[in-house]
Amino acid sequence: MKLIGTLKGTLLAGAIMAASATAALAEFPERNIEIIHPWGPGNAMAMSQVVAKAMGEELGTDLPVISLPGAAGTKAQTTAMGRPADGYTIFDGYVAPLVLQPILGNADWSFNDFKPLSAAVANAFAIAGQVDETRWSSFEEMMAYCKENRGDLRYSSGSRNNLPHMVIAKALQSYDCVAQNVPYTQDGNVFKDLGSGVLDFSFVNVGNFRTNPDEVKILLVLSELESSKKAFLGAPTIDELDVDLGLSNLGPMGWTWWIVHPDTPDDVTEELRSAMERAMARPEVIEAVEAIGFVPLSWDHTKYEEIVGGVDAQLNSMGNALAWEEEELKKLN
Amino acid sequence: MIFEFLSAGLDVFLSPLALGLTFAGIIIGLVVGAMPGLGPLMGIILLLPVAIGLPPVPAMGFLIAIFVGGSCGGSISAILLRIPGTPLAAATLFDGYPMAQKGRASDAIGIAITSSAIGGLIGGVVLVFCAPILASFAANFAPPEYAMLAIMGLFAIAVISGGSIIKGLLAGSFGLLIATVGTDSFSTGLRFTFGSNNLLNGFHIVAVVVGLFAISEMAAQMTKRDLLKTPEVKVARPGLQTIGLTLKHYGNLIRSSAIGTFFGAIPGAGGVISSFTSYAVAKAAAKPGEKYGEGAEGGIVATEAANNATVGGTLVPTLSLGIPGDASSAMLLGALLILGFVPGPAMFENNPDVVGGIFMVYLASNVFLLIAGILLTPVFVYVLRVPKVYLIPSILLLCSIGTFALQASVFDLQVMLVFGLIGILFRAADYPLAPVVIGMILGPILEANFRRSLLISRDGYWIFLDRPVSATLVAVNALLLAAMVYLTIKRMRGSKKSDLAKAMSAEE
Repeated sequence: MKLIGTLKGTLLAGAIMAASATAALAEFPERNIEIIHPWGPGNAMAMSQVVAKAMGEELGTDLPVISLPGAAGTKAQTTAMGRPADGYTIFDGYVAPLVLQPILGNADWSFNDFKPLSAAVANAFAIAGQVDETRWSSFEEMMAYCKENRGDLRYSSGSRNNLPHMVIAKALQSYDCVAQNVPYTQDGNVFKDLGSGVLDFSFVNVGNFRTNPDEVKILLVLSELESSKKAFLGAPTIDELDVDLGLSNLGPMGWTWWIVHPDTPDDVTEELRSAMERAMARPEVIEAVEAIGFVPLSWDHTKYEEIVGGVDAQLNSMGNALAWEEEELKKLN
Repeated sequence: MIFEFLSAGLDVFLSPLALGLTFAGIIIGLVVGAMPGLGPLMGIILLLPVAIGLPPVPAMGFLIAIFVGGSCGGSISAILLRIPGTPLAAATLFDGYPMAQKGRASDAIGIAITSSAIGGLIGGVVLVFCAPILASFAANFAPPEYAMLAIMGLFAIAVISGGSIIKGLLAGSFGLLIATVGTDSFSTGLRFTFGSNNLLNGFHIVAVVVGLFAISEMAAQMTKRDLLKTPEVKVARPGLQTIGLTLKHYGNLIRSSAIGTFFGAIPGAGGVISSFTSYAVAKAAAKPGEKYGEGAEGGIVATEAANNATVGGTLVPTLSLGIPGDASSAMLLGALLILGFVPGPAMFENNPDVVGGIFMVYLASNVFLLIAGILLTPVFVYVLRVPKVYLIPSILLLCSIGTFALQASVFDLQVMLVFGLIGILFRAADYPLAPVVIGMILGPILEANFRRSLLISRDGYWIFLDRPVSATLVAVNALLLAAMVYLTIKRMRGSKKSDLAKAMSAEE
C-alpha cells in the first residue's frame, strides 16, 4: 500500500512539474484573448470587433469582444483589471471609465496604473439643434436665449456624467446658460427626440448624424480639428467662437486606448502591442473604422502619457462644470 | 418605387452565396435560440466578425436570418421542456408545453414555426410597403408615450396570471423590485448593490429567466420517479397540415403580427412585451371553447407570430431612420456601417440594391424558417425520447454554458442558481413565473420614461395629457383599469355566491 502511495505521489509530482514546464515553454497566446468592452451592443462594439478580428489574425487566435455595460464603464474596467495579469484580458479603455470617472470620484484608479497597448479610435461629437428652429440660428444666439430663460431648455448628452455631458456643461457654464439635462440609455432615442422637437438641443456623434443629416442642424462641433469639422459637413467649431471655452487641444475626445493589467509580463505586453499596431495599420481596418464614423488613431504606447495625461489635466480643470449645473438647477427648482 | 427596390435587390439576392448563407443563418438561429441562455443577440455578436468579411447582401442575409431563426428557436425548448430558450419565448410555454404533454409536440412546434414565419412575413410586408409611414409615426413616440405603453403592458400580468390575480400581481411586483437593482441612470446613485461591483448593472435578464424557468423545471423533473424510463414519444414530421392548423387562427395571426410589428417599430419596446401583450389580447378575445393555458393552439400562434413580426418591425426604424429598435438590431446597424452603408433615408436613394436585397433576405429568411423548421422538427422532438437521467444534466450543462457566455461571468451563474431556487419556491407556493419576467422588463422602461417625461415637462404631470397620443393611452389605461377592477369584483362576488349556495345545499 505504501509503495502504491509513493508511486502515486511521484507520478503526481512529475505531472505537476511537466505541466509547469509546458506552461513556461508555451507560446503566447495559447487560447482566446478577451476584449472587455464597457458599453452595450452597438456601433462602438462593432468597431471594437473589427479591430479585435484583425488583431486576432495577427496573433493567430480569436479575440471575442464581451460587452459589460454599467456605471459609466467602471464595471467593465474593474472586471477586466480584476482578471489575472497574463495578457488574456484587454480593456477597451474609453475616456469615461479611464479618466473621467476617477476625476468625478467614482473610481479609485489613475490612467497611470495601467499598461497601454495602443490607441484605437476616436469619436468626434457636436451640439445639434432642431432644423426648423425659430428662436435662434446659431450656437451663440441659443446661449443668449438660454441665459435669458434660465432652466427652460432641455438637452441630452446621452447618459449622465459622461464625456459629452462634461464638455457640454462646461460650454454652457461659459455662457452662464442653465439647461436641464435629460439622461437617455440609447443614443438613437436622443436623436429621435431631438428630431421630433421634444429636446431643444443634444450631443450627436458622427455615426448618428450621418444616418439622417437632414433631420438636425449642427450648431457647434466640439473640437477644433479640421477632420471633425469635415465629418459634420463644415459646421462651426469651438475655434470659431468669440470666447474660449477651455476645450482647446482636447482633440478627438471620445477616444479609446486598449490597456492591460499593470502586472502583465513585458514580453506578453510587447507581443500584444505589436499585434495591435499592425492591426490598426491595416487598410481594411482603417476603412471599416471610418465607415462607422470613428477616426482611427495611430498613436502608439509611447504617446499614452502625453495624450491621456493632457486630457486628464484638462478634464480636472473643468471638473466643477457638472456640479455647477446641478447647483444652478437646484436653485431654479 | 417599392418594386424598383425589390427588383434591384432580387438581382443581388439570387446568388448561391446569399441564398446559402441565409439558410445557414436560419439553422444557426434556431439552434442558438433553442439553447437556454443563448439567443439571437449572442448569435449575431458571435458571427458578426465572419459576416463583415462578406459582400453586403449575403452578410446581412446571414445576420438577419440568425435574428429571425433565433427569435423562433426559443419556442422549441419552451414547448418540449417548459424552458424558454430566450425570454422572447417565455409566453409560448403557457400553451406549448401542455400541448406537447398531450402528445402533440410536433404539432405545437409546427404551429410555432409556421406562426413565426407568417408573422415574420407580415412584418416584412409592413417593412417593405409602410416603412417610411410607420417610421415617422414611431418617431413621435417620446418618453410620455413609452411610459403609458409600459403601464398598458403591465396589465398583461392580470390576464396571464391564471388562477390567482393577487399572486400574479405579487410576482409582477417582485419583477419590478429586482429590476431596480443597479446604477440609477438619472442620479448615478447605486441601488441595492451592497458594495458589489457585479450588481452595478443589475441582474442580467437571461440569467434570471434561465434560473427561474430552467433550473426550477429541472428540479421539479428530478423529483419524479421516471428518471430512467425511455419516454415513448411519437415523432411526427409536421407537414402541410400544421400550416392548415395555423391558418385556422387567421384572425389571431393577423392581429398578433400587427401587435408585433407595432412594438418592433417603436425603438426600445422589444419582442418580449409584444409576445406577452399579444398573448394577453388573444386570451381576452378567445372563444369560450378555447382553453388558454391548457394547450390552446391560439396561444402559440399569438406569441410566436408577434415575436417574429417584431423583427420585421424593428428593421423599420433601423433602416429608415438609423435608430435601432433593440440590441440585436443595433448590432445589425453596426454591421451595415462596417460594410460601408449608412442606414437612413440616404441609403434608400443611393443604394436601392442593398435596401432591396435586405428586404429580400428578410422575406426569404422567413420562408426558409418554415422549410428548415419542418425538416428539423423530428430532430428536436427526439429530445423527448432521451431518458431524463441523461436529459436533465445535459440541459443543466447547456444552461450553465449559455448563461456564462453572456458576459463570461461566474456571477451570472450564481444569479442563475439563486433564481433557480426562487423559481422552486414560487412553484411550491403556486405563484406564476411569467409576471416576474414582465415586471423585470417593463420596470426599467416605465421608470426611466416616467422620470424622463417629468424632466422634459415644463408643466409637471400635464405632459402626459398635453400630447395627443399619450393622452389617448392614458384614457385606454384608465378604461382597462376600471374594467379589470369591475371584472375582479364581479368574479369575487360570483365565487362568494357559489360558496354560499354550496354551503346552503350542504345544510339542506
